[in-house]
Amino acid sequence: MIDFMLIFRILVFPGFTFVLFLTLFCDWVERKIEARIQNRVGPMVAGPGGILQPLADFIKLLTKEDITPRDAKKTIFKFAPLVAFSIMVFAMAFLPIDGGSVISASGFNGDLIIILAFVTIANFLLFLAGWASCNPYGSIGSARVLTQFLGYDIPLTLLALTPAFIAGSLNIFSIAYIQVTQLLPFILLAPWAFVLFIITMQAELEKDPFDIPHADSEVVGGLETEYTGGKLAFLHLTRDVQIVFGAALVVELFLGGPYGPVFFGLPEFWYSLWFILKLLAVVIITEYITTVFARLRIDQVLRANWKILLPAAILSLVLTVAMVTWIYPMVV
Amino acid sequence: MPNSSIDIINVIESKLKDKVQIQKGQLSTAAITVSNGLHRDVIQAMVDADPYTAISAITGLDLGASLGVYYHVRTSNAFLTIKAEVPKENPKIQTITDITPSGVFHELEVSDLFGVAFEGNPLPGHFVLPETWPQGIYPLRKDVNANEVKLDPPLEEEKKPSEGKLVKIIIGPQHPALLEPEKFAVTVDGETVTKVEPRIGYVHRGIEKASESRTYLQDIYLVERICGICTTIHAADFCETVEKLLKAEVPQRAKYLRVIALELNRLHSHFLTLGHAGLEIGYETLFQYFWRDREPIMDLIELTSGSRVYPSIMTIGGVRRDLKDTDLPKIKTTLIELRKKLPFYRQVYENEPSLRARMKNVGILKREDALKLGVVGPVARGSGVDIDVRKDEPYEAYSEIPFKEIVYQDGDTWARMNVRMDEVEESINIIEYALDHLPAGPFRVKVPRVVPPGEAVNRVEAPRGELFCYIKSNGTAMPERVKVRTPTYANIPSFLKTAIGENIADVPPNFVSLDPCFSCTDR
Amino acid sequence: MADTKTWARVKSPWVLHFNSGSCNGCDIEIVSLLTPKYDVERFGVKLEPSPRHADVLLVTGAVTKQCEERLKRVYDQMPQPKFVVAIGACACSGGVFNGCYNVVGGVDKVIPVTAYIPGCAPRPEALMDGVVKLLNALSPPKPKKQAKQEKLVEAPKEEVKPPDAPILEVPTTPILQDAKSIIEETKPDAKQ
Repeated sequence: MIDFMLIFRILVFPGFTFVLFLTLFCDWVERKIEARIQNRVGPMVAGPGGILQPLADFIKLLTKEDITPRDAKKTIFKFAPLVAFSIMVFAMAFLPIDGGSVISASGFNGDLIIILAFVTIANFLLFLAGWASCNPYGSIGSARVLTQFLGYDIPLTLLALTPAFIAGSLNIFSIAYIQVTQLLPFILLAPWAFVLFIITMQAELEKDPFDIPHADSEVVGGLETEYTGGKLAFLHLTRDVQIVFGAALVVELFLGGPYGPVFFGLPEFWYSLWFILKLLAVVIITEYITTVFARLRIDQVLRANWKILLPAAILSLVLTVAMVTWIYPMVV
Repeated sequence: MPNSSIDIINVIESKLKDKVQIQKGQLSTAAITVSNGLHRDVIQAMVDADPYTAISAITGLDLGASLGVYYHVRTSNAFLTIKAEVPKENPKIQTITDITPSGVFHELEVSDLFGVAFEGNPLPGHFVLPETWPQGIYPLRKDVNANEVKLDPPLEEEKKPSEGKLVKIIIGPQHPALLEPEKFAVTVDGETVTKVEPRIGYVHRGIEKASESRTYLQDIYLVERICGICTTIHAADFCETVEKLLKAEVPQRAKYLRVIALELNRLHSHFLTLGHAGLEIGYETLFQYFWRDREPIMDLIELTSGSRVYPSIMTIGGVRRDLKDTDLPKIKTTLIELRKKLPFYRQVYENEPSLRARMKNVGILKREDALKLGVVGPVARGSGVDIDVRKDEPYEAYSEIPFKEIVYQDGDTWARMNVRMDEVEESINIIEYALDHLPAGPFRVKVPRVVPPGEAVNRVEAPRGELFCYIKSNGTAMPERVKVRTPTYANIPSFLKTAIGENIADVPPNFVSLDPCFSCTDR
Repeated sequence: MADTKTWARVKSPWVLHFNSGSCNGCDIEIVSLLTPKYDVERFGVKLEPSPRHADVLLVTGAVTKQCEERLKRVYDQMPQPKFVVAIGACACSGGVFNGCYNVVGGVDKVIPVTAYIPGCAPRPEALMDGVVKLLNALSPPKPKKQAKQEKLVEAPKEEVKPPDAPILEVPTTPILQDAKSIIEETKPDAKQ
């Protein structure tokens, strides 16, 4: 029997099409916020208020000529962007968006670890994409991507385990559900972890002040330098989906996921609405941090990671363990 | 202004009394005519006596049967010209780069454009002309017509040039960090820079040669277009030099109006650099804010002259148009508004941690190196060298207007940008003083079209440093030789030195802090 | 389908700026387009770092002989469909430097040009006007609106010049070549 509901969920909502349009929408939100902070207006002409601008960018890139450099490693060059994009969209499928995820209504134990692994694989594929273009700027850009995300993966995992510890489970659905039903949202229970997680997420997503791999004054186009046309479109989309995914992870782990008060009608509608609103709040915070700071140098970024963030992440985990085991049972 | 009482002419007279002819009062402080080889002794004597000695420019001249090589040397309180000559059939002269490293680029230009061979100069190859320019064609000689030269296509560069661990990265000519085309081959070991090789000449349009076939009045508009950012000062320098040749006296009102135009130009140029530096360190917001505040200055330039980028307000004998009394209140209110914005930017430079992390202790130029390499402008003043032509050799109305000379001792990128920020405030002060004390009277004086034969030099303080002009006239309506030496040309050797040992990520902010303008450099 | 393609191309022109020997006047006016007073990002214009990402090449400067080869190379690196805008009097015809020994004199002696924006230096408003006119020339015509008007304002056919004819005089308003035909003739190649 063909399960039409499952196919609908995978392809349309909350699957592929919804993720695609959510990504384009968040891209527009980011550009508008960046423009307003810089005293400008941002995209205005494509659609009402410029909301169709990211879609126009995407379609235009798809219609451009496709050029593969003579010396590039053809297979990796052609397929790395598409595979990276697919992995990121697949990782989005594990997150409960309308009350349940696409994969299964209540997830399974350990899917938090799996999606963190997916992010790492997608970043690694981006590195391969830059390396395969055989361009000096591409090589430097992708080397920087590798250095940065390998370094920041460790504190990211530690900080992601903090909510898992408080909730007592590695299942994202449980973590998000417990925040609304039994405990308070973890942003209130472990605010230090929330702040550190946002900072680490900025570095994983390569946004200011950590956006060295995209520093166009130093490495021209970075790992994207040689890409044109449809492949460039998917590289851009991969990065945008990563940003949405990072924000969604913050929402699930610290803000109670899609769960919130249901007023009337379908609970799925309200859950999606709360999810989108919380996602937008996180996107606005990260974009604000992006515009307000300058870009750090690579050695300063590495020093920030190994000397500051990693010890802070360990301390945060220890502190959370202490609070949960001894302090909170006394208060609650 | 350096506090110095060294009488450099005395020093030269005492050391080389009979071997050289000194004409005092000519070409600024003095002109010294030397025969072959003695130029080294004169310069050696000057360098030994005064640490501020540096080559300001080297002019090549076609004198018919021989080629003139004029060394223009700047000391702490004097400006001398040493005239040497070499025969055309055997144009060889000894280099002076071992005595003072400030002359290395100037010699290369003369050898490119005139064919003088400087024996012992460390850098080979074409410098200002393209790499594949045919040998033996020297465009600035009088008997050469270089218009029909066709270039061979450039050499195919190696795909992955690297020797062992060292990788060569080519920055430019098309690069998002650089507004202009020029090429720097940066050799890196990991992330540390070991060597920088510059290749300029992409914007070389041959202005000096073109100016010889246009009248003096037409040349103002040509010389003005050496650079679109510091355009007013180029025109002012040229006009002042011609006025020296004509012995014309510019009216007082014109001098004050010129000062106002020049300081407005300095304001917009400094805001441009401050914003551009923000772009290099990834601080787009700061770039947008600086350029937003630059727009009222452009409106003022348009109000006083009629055009945003090319005011074209200078002419020989004064300025082209007068300032209306109804415009003065508008200028004053805009300046007051601008002054209110400065504390915010000062606070950003003092307190913003990511900016300080990128700019502090980056690209340090020590004071001794700054003196030896002969750097000028905010680059010198950021390293503790207190030279400013507006104070050392006042021109226009600067001797009557009080203002401070801004000097910082740190020598890093942060200090250089701070020098510019403080100079913005000083410029606002100067304009307000000039507006309050604007004398009445004519704003230009009529000058003859034909300039009597002679030669003159002039120096002014452009936003980027000391700008030098030398004109030789032959009694017709067109100049015989126009030589312009721009401040960036003198400052690039310092970049080659400060970049070594730095992280490759520090190269863009370091580069922007010396405020390079390659259309000025290449002419 | 073709309408969506053209719509996307018109709404999202990414530019690459190349200075082929300019005095910087036109370049700073181009950069000031990104600043709050003029804000060209409203039209979807983004300044791109790499030639491979850009659709429109903005060229300033009278092409010096050293830049000629680089300009050709940058133009070849851009993927189709691509447009070239020559900004400033120097790029249109060599400007005040026409006849100097190291100057080729005008961008259209090196690569085909789609639009000319004269001026020395053209104001940012003139630059935006030129960019918008270029984008409007790419949009398909709207027959419904034209039927309502009494007189049809036809596109001035005498201003359209074939791509390889040398331009003899510097125009006073931006002149556009038949940009639509360029899109239709140059289909993106499937393989390199």
